[in-house]
Amino acid sequence: MKKFFTRLNYTKSFNVLKRGLWFENQVAIAVLGICSSLAITNKVENAIAMGLGVTFVVMASSALIALIRNFIPSQVRMVTYMVIISTFVIVVQMFLKAYFPTLANQLGAYVGLIITNCIVMGRAEAFAVKNPVKYALVDGFASGMGYMLVLIAASTIREVLAFGTFLNIPVMGEGWVPWTIMTLAPGGFFVISLFVWFIRERQQFQEGNQ
Amino acid sequence: MHKYVRMMVFVALLGTVSGGLLFGTGALTNSLIQANADALLKSEILTAHQVSFTFTNIHDVFAENTTIIEEEAEYEGDPYTFTFYQDNTNGYITFGFGPTFGGGVWGPIIGLLSLEDDWTTIRRIAVLQQEETPGLGGIVATRAYLDTFNGKTIGLNDGAIEIIKDLDMTAAEANQVASIVGATRTSSSFNQILNNAYAAYRAVWEAR
Repeated sequence: MKKFFTRLNYTKSFNVLKRGLWFENQVAIAVLGICSSLAITNKVENAIAMGLGVTFVVMASSALIALIRNFIPSQVRMVTYMVIISTFVIVVQMFLKAYFPTLANQLGAYVGLIITNCIVMGRAEAFAVKNPVKYALVDGFASGMGYMLVLIAASTIREVLAFGTFLNIPVMGEGWVPWTIMTLAPGGFFVISLFVWFIRERQQFQEGNQ
Repeated sequence: MHKYVRMMVFVALLGTVSGGLLFGTGALTNSLIQANADALLKSEILTAHQVSFTFTNIHDVFAENTTIIEEEAEYEGDPYTFTFYQDNTNGYITFGFGPTFGGGVWGPIIGLLSLEDDWTTIRRIAVLQQEETPGLGGIVATRAYLDTFNGKTIGLNDGAIEIIKDLDMTAAEANQVASIVGATRTSSSFNQILNNAYAAYRAVWEAR
């Protein structure tokens, strides 16, 4: 078992996964995707929906960009990423509205907001355009999941303090006085900043131990 | 030169492929999206009018129980078609509100306002489309919030519905509803939309 993990540790896919989830976490370390994080982390269900949507779009767009990377002229690469990402998001939005109208209704503006998420563009430029499809897929998955983990952690704190609920289930008892600040963007700033601080400190501690 | 030709060919190809993909997806899904929107509208109206239905018989039940009344009139100087959905049995009235009567913070708030036949008691409100901040203003579309309007009264001038911040629910008047916590602007926009739509539709109804 130990041998398996040692070997796994030396595979590129595992290292890409580790970096995306933790060591290069897109929210805490790269400080990308902050706008949407502030807006939607007041409810855990929002964080899960946005996290899944972003993960799917990063994976799909990264895979396609990696596939055609040798044909993309460098002068128009950013425009190309934007067109691919927007096309993917709009297609997903149309399919959801047509075949899963209830889910589309629940997700509301989130699906459209994915286009503006810096993580999608960031992974395309930093990774997908330089790597083969299989690694681009792993990187997209890891980046999306790393983003979702921070979102869920932050939204858990915000939802409990702001509404006294977790996934809309009351957890704080009837006498709970809601912290209104936690429903607002400043509440998001406080909580996300705390996570950025915690994850960076933890990483420095780990590096110090090594 | 060769570099620029290659770039232009790539851009043209990318545009054609993405455009084709969007056009194709649109052609494939537009009719379904329209049918879903139509079913949603009918289901909200039938629910407000207390008519039971299933999604297999919704169109028949709607046609059997609801009379659609369309009136051409002007709203703030522009021609507008006022559409009323009236229940054939109990006389409940439903009409739509949308961007014509005011907007939300980030985009239009589109929905339905259903009243009893006295034109005063709110039966149900449904928000079909909105672009407010998710988790804050977006609460305007949740059933839990919209149900706080059920049974409240709406009228003209002093009787208009009032969405009030930090409302003491024990002392709330029949036309007062609490605002959404952390979404004051959405609450006041929604308040304005409801009152504007009500006043306009009532005027047209009374002028028939």
